Amino acid sequence: MSDATVAPPQLAHHFESLEKQQHAARLGMWLFLATEVLLFTALFAGYGVYRYLYSDTFQQASRHLHTWIGLTNTLILIVSSFTVAAGLDQAAKGKGRSTFLLFMFSVLCGVVFMCFKAYEYTHHFHEGMLPGRYYTFEALGSGPGGAIFFSLYYLITGLHAFHVMLGMTVLTVIGLRARAGRYTTEYFVPVELAGLYWHLVDLIWIFVFPLIYLA
Amino acid sequence: MAVSESHAESEKLHHSHLGRYVAVLAALVVLTVTTYLAAKVHLPAPWNVLVALAIATAKGSLVALFFMHLWDQEGANRLVFLTSLVFVALLVGLTLADNATRFPLANPPGSTGALPAPEYVPPPQGGATYQR
Amino acid sequence: MNPSPAGEASGSMHFVTDQNGYFADNYLVKPATGLRSWLYTLDHKRIGVMYLVGVSIAFALGGFFAMLIRLELLTPGPTVMDAMTYNRVFTLHGVVMIFLFMIPAIPSGFGNFFLPIMLGAKDVAFPRLNLLSWYLYLLGAAIAIYGMVYGGTDTGWTFYTPYSTTTATKVVPVLLGAFVIGFSSILTGLNFIVTTHTMRAPGLTWGRLPLFIWGIYATSVIQILATPVVGMTLLLVAVENAFGWGIFDPARGGDPVLFQHFFWFYSHPAVYIMILPAMAVISEVVCAFSRKNIFGYKAVAYSSLGIAFVGFFTWGHHLFVSGQSVVDGGIFGVLTMFVGIFTAIKVFNWTATLYKGSVAFTTPFAYFVGFLFFLVFGGMTGVALATLSLDVHWHDTYFVVAHFHFIMVGATVMGFLAALHYWLPKITGRMYSEGWGLVAAVMIVLGFNFTFIPQFLLGNMGMPRRYYSYPEKFWALNVASTAGASVLALGLVIVLVYTLVAIRWGPIAGRNPWNSRGFEWMTPSPPPVENFEKPPVFTHGPHEYTDEDPAFPAPHLAPEPKHV
Repeated sequence: MSDATVAPPQLAHHFESLEKQQHAARLGMWLFLATEVLLFTALFAGYGVYRYLYSDTFQQASRHLHTWIGLTNTLILIVSSFTVAAGLDQAAKGKGRSTFLLFMFSVLCGVVFMCFKAYEYTHHFHEGMLPGRYYTFEALGSGPGGAIFFSLYYLITGLHAFHVMLGMTVLTVIGLRARAGRYTTEYFVPVELAGLYWHLVDLIWIFVFPLIYLA
Repeated sequence: MAVSESHAESEKLHHSHLGRYVAVLAALVVLTVTTYLAAKVHLPAPWNVLVALAIATAKGSLVALFFMHLWDQEGANRLVFLTSLVFVALLVGLTLADNATRFPLANPPGSTGALPAPEYVPPPQGGATYQR
Repeated sequence: MNPSPAGEASGSMHFVTDQNGYFADNYLVKPATGLRSWLYTLDHKRIGVMYLVGVSIAFALGGFFAMLIRLELLTPGPTVMDAMTYNRVFTLHGVVMIFLFMIPAIPSGFGNFFLPIMLGAKDVAFPRLNLLSWYLYLLGAAIAIYGMVYGGTDTGWTFYTPYSTTTATKVVPVLLGAFVIGFSSILTGLNFIVTTHTMRAPGLTWGRLPLFIWGIYATSVIQILATPVVGMTLLLVAVENAFGWGIFDPARGGDPVLFQHFFWFYSHPAVYIMILPAMAVISEVVCAFSRKNIFGYKAVAYSSLGIAFVGFFTWGHHLFVSGQSVVDGGIFGVLTMFVGIFTAIKVFNWTATLYKGSVAFTTPFAYFVGFLFFLVFGGMTGVALATLSLDVHWHDTYFVVAHFHFIMVGATVMGFLAALHYWLPKITGRMYSEGWGLVAAVMIVLGFNFTFIPQFLLGNMGMPRRYYSYPEKFWALNVASTAGASVLALGLVIVLVYTLVAIRWGPIAGRNPWNSRGFEWMTPSPPPVENFEKPPVFTHGPHEYTDEDPAFPAPHLAPEPKHV
């Protein structure tokens, strides 16, 4: 238990101890992650329903995507997740500078991920693989499954990309603070929380990749 | 209740886990390649989906348990995460069960069991059907 | 409670009250007064008060729309508006009442104020997040009202596709407003769960938590799990309406019933967000006004969690006649019946609490009686509607309308009013007029009966809901319903008037005018900013009326209450 006669500077007035405060922060973050999971759930449910209804078209549409980009992006996110975990390890040892470098590497991975997605999207636009009523891609036959597939594709990967950008921002901010020495071996819970968010982004993509690219 | 457990969780975070992370990274890469290769085998439905989901679940579990430290953390956090997964399964499961067990013509035209695809006529491009 | 040597409860009697028992250095004036101090406040009590003001305004607005509806339905043909306007009015009535009033009213209003106090804590776990929740509520309300000002929408509060995705009415701002308010709801739920887990004062085990906390906690679980799904769904509808692409368009292979699945996955648990806090309040009120601890504490506590979880498995009962498969219909019908079991447990336990209690028939207790009656009948009609074969006849008729108004108005609003009257002395330090309170309560209960019982009959006779005109055979019952609504509205206006009078000129209530042994009555009225001087130590649960408790000294005979 904390028995410091002087409260640590990060202790908020309404918490009894820094330990309880950090425990609350972690629980709060996990609850927030649960809401993010549920946010994607509606899209996954829609995907599930329409994959069942238009299974052939979905399989063919999936083959028209750049599978190698999906695979590369998956590996990029996995590596970035690893460097984030390593960054937390460094923060626990009080090495803010290393945390910053590792987090920045993950941000760089995020940038590369987004570049690949931009390349993919541009290619899709040229091919007419657009959502809903803008769909003009002919290779999948005249059924409605193609337009539905691409509507879901843009919704899921678009929402995911938005979260990647949010994650990159969070990692940058926390990384800079770590380099400035704001975290100690006693208090590094913001680094933990930033890491949790990035891992969730990776976790969601782990499910997106086989469902969208390997149908 | 919470104090001794939170003390324990911060204690565990002070130990270096780098070796563990490297092992998990290796496993994740292997599983990614596995899922890619499994897709190339073209298993019949629904096995292709189930295999893909099983591999994804394994990968996700590794990320959640080790990168996100659920392995060392206290029950409340694990319960929160598990509960969210249960509700994912609930929404996806029962909604899919609806479309899968409907009277066939109640599903969208051009879909499994509904009017056959050749009879589906897509509306003109640009959505001129609706008053906007 | 742990008595200090002077026989005083730790953390409450240190504060000095004036000779009437009013605590002058309370949260309303400390740390500062003035608009800025309120706009930037991190004090959960001030945030709770702001929510109460906001939801009351929303309730008045929604009530105004309700009176317009009843006015229009006074005659079979057009009465005061045309059909399109009528559609917009009932849509706005639903949107305002549900998203701006029912969902936040008790949890964000009374929950914010009392959850930390009942836990012996100084504030919620994340005070800044709490303030953000309040501003998100305001932002969402502003966006939705902007949409309303420009004509609103006529989709109904349920926004069913494909109409909502193709209409040119102002559905997008209303959707976005609801989306933003959803985040307010999520963050509040998150805050309450973390606070309950991590900020309980020493000695306060889960088994000693006030039942109000259990109810708010269960509500927060629903808010966390369900709201993101509807947020995503409303966003999908807005995108499809604004940009013309999405997954609900039947002309392009989409399934409009899919929207209904997603929407009701939230909206059914949402009705439990609305009722659980009211039940939580009632658990407190029934104990305080029968001076007896709750019968079957564990059953009541766990049934709140039971409702929260099982409520998630029932959404398909809204889709019985929408084209959903019969298999799913059967599953959902059966699961829906199970939810009623938990409510029945609570009703039984509340009633058993009254047995051999010392009942004081005050205004909060009057609302408890109304609540009980309406919850039982509203709940039973819910189980009847869950029977698929019966729902085929009743779906989209006034039977459904009457059912959910019985619960939402008859139970939740009664719970809100009970909370208002029970806790007004604690929040403001002043007491309302008991005479007027009982008069208004009687008017509200009677008016309510006259409004909604005819609607059960109308629905059973076949009158559809959301219909602007109706055949002459329904005329008399519609007139009766409107007459009842007028009495109900008048009763509510009376409540508003005497509440405002009490806040400004009411007699000083003192620390514990009800002599209740709920934990919140340990602090002065109104409470100080930090709630307690030092964290209280709990040695037993709330509402222990069996012997003398130093934390709750018998009220001394105060001098004649002065109008200050």
